[in-house]
Amino acid sequence: MQVIGKIEKKGFGFGTWALVAEDGTIYELKDPPQELRQAIAKVQIEGQINEDVMTIAMIGPVLEVESFQILS
Amino acid sequence: MKKFLLLCLFIFGLVFALSNFQGLASQGDFKSIILDFREDIPNSKIKEEIRTIAQQYNRQATLNSIFSIEDNVYIVEGDRKVLDALQHSPLRKDTEYIEPNYIYHQLEVPNDPEYSKQWNLHTINVEQAWDETKGDGVTVAVIDTGVTKVPDLKLTKFVRGYDFVNDRVSANDDNGHGTHVAGTIAQSTNNGYGVAGIAYEAKVMPLKVLAAGGGGTIADIAEAIKFAADRDVDVINMSLGGAGESHLMKEAIDYAYNKDVVIIAAAGNENRNAASYPARYPHVISVAATDAAGEKAPYSNYGAGVDISAPGGSETAKIIQNTIDPSTGESTFVGFQGTSMAAPHVAGVAALVKASGVSEPEQVLDVLKRSARRVQEDPLNHFGAGHLNAAEAVKLALKGQITFRDFFRWLRDSGYLNPRFWIDGGAVALLPKILMVVGSYLLAWFLRNYLPVSFGLHSGLILGSSGLFFLQGLYVFDLPQWPFRLLGSSIPELGNVPAGSTILNPFTASILIPLLLVILLVGHKTLKWFAIGSALGVSACLAVSAAIDPAVMGLGTELVSRSFLVINALLCFGLAYLASQGEKQKA
Repeated sequence: MQVIGKIEKKGFGFGTWALVAEDGTIYELKDPPQELRQAIAKVQIEGQINEDVMTIAMIGPVLEVESFQILS
Repeated sequence: MKKFLLLCLFIFGLVFALSNFQGLASQGDFKSIILDFREDIPNSKIKEEIRTIAQQYNRQATLNSIFSIEDNVYIVEGDRKVLDALQHSPLRKDTEYIEPNYIYHQLEVPNDPEYSKQWNLHTINVEQAWDETKGDGVTVAVIDTGVTKVPDLKLTKFVRGYDFVNDRVSANDDNGHGTHVAGTIAQSTNNGYGVAGIAYEAKVMPLKVLAAGGGGTIADIAEAIKFAADRDVDVINMSLGGAGESHLMKEAIDYAYNKDVVIIAAAGNENRNAASYPARYPHVISVAATDAAGEKAPYSNYGAGVDISAPGGSETAKIIQNTIDPSTGESTFVGFQGTSMAAPHVAGVAALVKASGVSEPEQVLDVLKRSARRVQEDPLNHFGAGHLNAAEAVKLALKGQITFRDFFRWLRDSGYLNPRFWIDGGAVALLPKILMVVGSYLLAWFLRNYLPVSFGLHSGLILGSSGLFFLQGLYVFDLPQWPFRLLGSSIPELGNVPAGSTILNPFTASILIPLLLVILLVGHKTLKWFAIGSALGVSACLAVSAAIDPAVMGLGTELVSRSFLVINALLCFGLAYLASQGEKQKA
């Protein structure tokens, strides 16, 4: 699946990187690459939702990043 | 037979405890000693004594304050050794008293320096709960990112867990989340360091299922649940969640539940109208989060599946515990927020409830829900049953149960712990009297749910069962003894003891007086409890007399006397039961 949105750090535990999609859905990024561990205004991420995973953040579906493109 | 043995054990325990009881007066901490010099001693003499203390003990005695000048109250630093030395020194004759300068603490307020910042623990009324239990004997499994023994977990008891991520026994934390969660449950408390935890005498089993990144597989979590259940843990906390329903996990939860494990999980942080998994499964207590004002935390899930709410904090007021900083591995005190923080509050209180004797998960949930502070207007189910309330939960868990602490408190409140009571009471056969008192309390316990703990009830229990029996053995020169025998008699003894006989009178050693009292006083708001208490007390007295010394005037053989006493004991208990039932219906 492909999602466009912004990257934010959510304050649960020591912090979790999240993708806030344009429709408002929040995805938790699972072990994101270093380039995505920062606030980014617009990014396009290609990845898969992993339903077999549970996390401490519990902010939304867990998205495993396969590829990405920083748009701004 | 079993009940008889239990009663014997109980009495043995009581006698043992009393023989080992150290009065409160001789306990307590002190770091200094009070010297109160006699007021008829000249100042020059006092100065000389102070110089002697300085020379002999190498310590300076100083006035306690400027207000102590008139009374000559001086303070000198010292421990029990110095106190003993001073009390046996010649100084004694120049002082009114030399005694420890006790430091008084407010009841059960821990000395952890950062405790005042833990608004969350104050919110759930944990101090009153600590008065009863601190979770001793209970084990809580923390299924999380692992737990590292940071300095403020040094005194916390651990049992062996497992690291399912790296497949090894040591389940250390490489994220900081699990250690924080374990801290809320059982941070070392009253250790003069850091912060406090809720069930700090409970044991923690660390189970690592989430990697450093904060995520883990359902398979590992399910295995960890079974691992914990097989090792007799009492409570499982899961401050984790996700979307997928899993048969494997559901099965593991049912397995643990059937082994009487209370399972608690965070509702999730999506601000969504449903709890996430595993909180959503049946048999899991799902916890929503509140902020410091008791409002729904902005992130907390709500609605479907939420059982109860507990402090989870918000941006402005977080939950502080000791954990590790994953970037350095060093210990740190840090504030987190989330339903992850709310769940361990409930796990801690569940541990206190279990330690109070409620073992079945269904009953624990019932206690947690019924004790919660209900939120009047909660149309979206932000709070489930309401705000978590540790004090009420423990109180409710203990209701209807006899606890040694409870009984001890009753003894103290009734004056039975006064040593004079027992010494003077030696003039009268002590064992039957103890049995009568214990018996009356046991009977009161049977009806406990209908009886308020009141002065009237206690007075009735004592007057009915044993009376102020130590007075019977009191003799004063040139005074008649019968008034002491009268005052020292229980109700059944009124017909014989004042007259100097040991054989019970069938009119007083029967249901007659309690019946009259109940009839006369049942309409009175407070005195009726005295009447009910006296019926229970008489019942205990007659039952014990029937067993030990069944002698009743005019009834001839032992068998007839004994039957008479047993029947009247039963009638008295029935009378108390009926009278208290009437009260219940009125209420």
